[in-house]
Amino acid sequence: MGVSWVPGESELRWPWLVVALGVLVAVLLLVWLRVWWRRPPRSAAYVAHATRLRRLPRYRALVRRRALLGGLGSAAALVACAGAILLGGRLQQAQTLERDDVARDIMLCLDASGSTAPWNVDVVQELRDIVEDLEGERIGLTVWNNAAITKFPLTDDYEFVLEQLEQAELAFSGWTDYLATEEYYAYTAGTFVSEFDRQSSLVGDGLVSCVQRFDRPDEDRGRALVLATDGEQRGRGVFSIEEAGAYADDQGVVVHTIANPGEPAEDGDLDELRAAARATGGTYALLGSDGTAEEVVDSIDDLRAARIERPPLRQVVDRNGPGTVVAGIGVGLLLVGWAVEWLVAARGRRPGR
Amino acid sequence: MPHLTRVKSRLSIHAHRKVRGLLEGEYAAIHVGRGIDFNDLREYVRGDDVKDIDWKASARSRTLLVKRYVAERKHTVVLAVSTGRTMAAMNDARVAKRDLAVFVAGVVGYLATRHGDLVALVHGDAHRQHARPPGNGELHLERLLGVVHDAIRPSGPPSDLAAVLDYVSRAIRRRTILVVVSDETHVSEPVAASLRRLTAQHEVLFLTIGDLDPTVPGTGHDEPGGRPALRRLVDVDAGDEVPDWLRGDVLLQQEYAALVASEESQLRRRLEQLGVVHERVHDTDSAISAVFRLLERHRHARRR
Repeated sequence: MGVSWVPGESELRWPWLVVALGVLVAVLLLVWLRVWWRRPPRSAAYVAHATRLRRLPRYRALVRRRALLGGLGSAAALVACAGAILLGGRLQQAQTLERDDVARDIMLCLDASGSTAPWNVDVVQELRDIVEDLEGERIGLTVWNNAAITKFPLTDDYEFVLEQLEQAELAFSGWTDYLATEEYYAYTAGTFVSEFDRQSSLVGDGLVSCVQRFDRPDEDRGRALVLATDGEQRGRGVFSIEEAGAYADDQGVVVHTIANPGEPAEDGDLDELRAAARATGGTYALLGSDGTAEEVVDSIDDLRAARIERPPLRQVVDRNGPGTVVAGIGVGLLLVGWAVEWLVAARGRRPGR
Repeated sequence: MPHLTRVKSRLSIHAHRKVRGLLEGEYAAIHVGRGIDFNDLREYVRGDDVKDIDWKASARSRTLLVKRYVAERKHTVVLAVSTGRTMAAMNDARVAKRDLAVFVAGVVGYLATRHGDLVALVHGDAHRQHARPPGNGELHLERLLGVVHDAIRPSGPPSDLAAVLDYVSRAIRRRTILVVVSDETHVSEPVAASLRRLTAQHEVLFLTIGDLDPTVPGTGHDEPGGRPALRRLVDVDAGDEVPDWLRGDVLLQQEYAALVASEESQLRRRLEQLGVVHERVHDTDSAISAVFRLLERHRHARRR
């Protein structure tokens, strides 16, 4: 997630103040010049034949020096004024912050039925691989059998996600034909409602439940669902696989299916799974074939990289730097000019030269 | 009579009786022709012509006595004062050139008045020149000094000594003692020509007044005399200010002093070539001795 302020146009907060101060400085300059030109001779002493001074080489040197220092001083004063005016006008810069979130949600949707449990270890391992490759997306995990429970909702806390997947791997690896471990039962508790014991591994209902776990329906986000199942249903659920695929497509969810062969004795409805995945624009892969995880990751990457429609953050910052620097340079030059003038004048006054 | 009172008090403060009489003796000696009618005897003072000593009377009274004659006719002293605006400037930090000009004119005029001579005035600038007819008495002299004083203004026209001198040569036909009071820094060609013409007709005495050194810094505090310290200097001719930063630079002061000194020596040499005795008046204190030296030098110049 890149956080960077993009500098925009610099402009003055109070341009009128700059104009007013500029005019004021100009007016003061004019007034001062007028006063300077026609200095009142009051309180002044008259001296005659002062034009003789102009013939002296020292006079010319002094005048040159004075012109130089005076010019420097005037320029410095003007620079200082310009800096002060710039400061007064409050130079501001607008900055925009583009918030570059990856707006994708991925729901992991695991079949927790006994027929799939041994495969789920591999599936979860694949999912961990997937999660490790992801960046910025939100991940959620739902397990289902004839009912679905949320193991964890959509989150971008990958550490937590991996932890949960590890737990899931441990739990699924504890299943055996005869007696599953406590971890397995504890983990899958709630996915099998005994009230409907004739129904289990309801792929259609599980898929719909998973689709319903995507939150923020009004936001335009890329939504992907990784469905791991063997497609082997017992009994009839509310939704068939086809209906569930249509529902997912309707909700804008892309379903990537990782199918497993399931129990060797019975074949799952893999064709229908593939059809459902294709219907939503997702991929279909049979676990155990080469490159499955990569294919799924690539597919997820291929999801429309929907950006979150968050308006760019815009803020206006006073940029005092240029004004301060200009005024500082002016004041500094002025001080240097005065110091040089004072030193030179003091050296000229020193007797015994 | 403010102007003349100042002259008289200055004379009595700075020059005690003897010196004052000495000045009078010097003044008396500038006359070429003295009368033949014997008037009285008075004590000899330095500067009196030795020929005037009455040796017999001196022997009797055991003091040196000189004969005083009634002058054959009264002499006329013409004060030619350049009253352009440069005269309105300062002479030094305390004294205005105007005051100094009035003062030296007053000293010479007072001597002439004491001697019973007539005093006339010619003054002017580049635009116009005026003459005041000869008259005697201290009141007349006071009026002349007042005219000079009032004619000098900073807003007046520029100075033009040649115009004043030309006016003298046009307006005054008689032979007079011409005392020129000006602030020239050099003798321009028109001035030289005028002087050449005037020396043929008059006894020309030339007094110049110096200028304030604009390179010397102001003292910054009020002078004891109550006059404000110099703060800003304005060139009376150009009307613009002599910048502050010129003052106090040692090198500039040296160069300026050298320039003024060379100009003064050139002026002196030029006037000597023209046969005009010249003296520079630096300040009020030295003005009386300057007048004395002027008279003294004139006497010697003539004797040669």
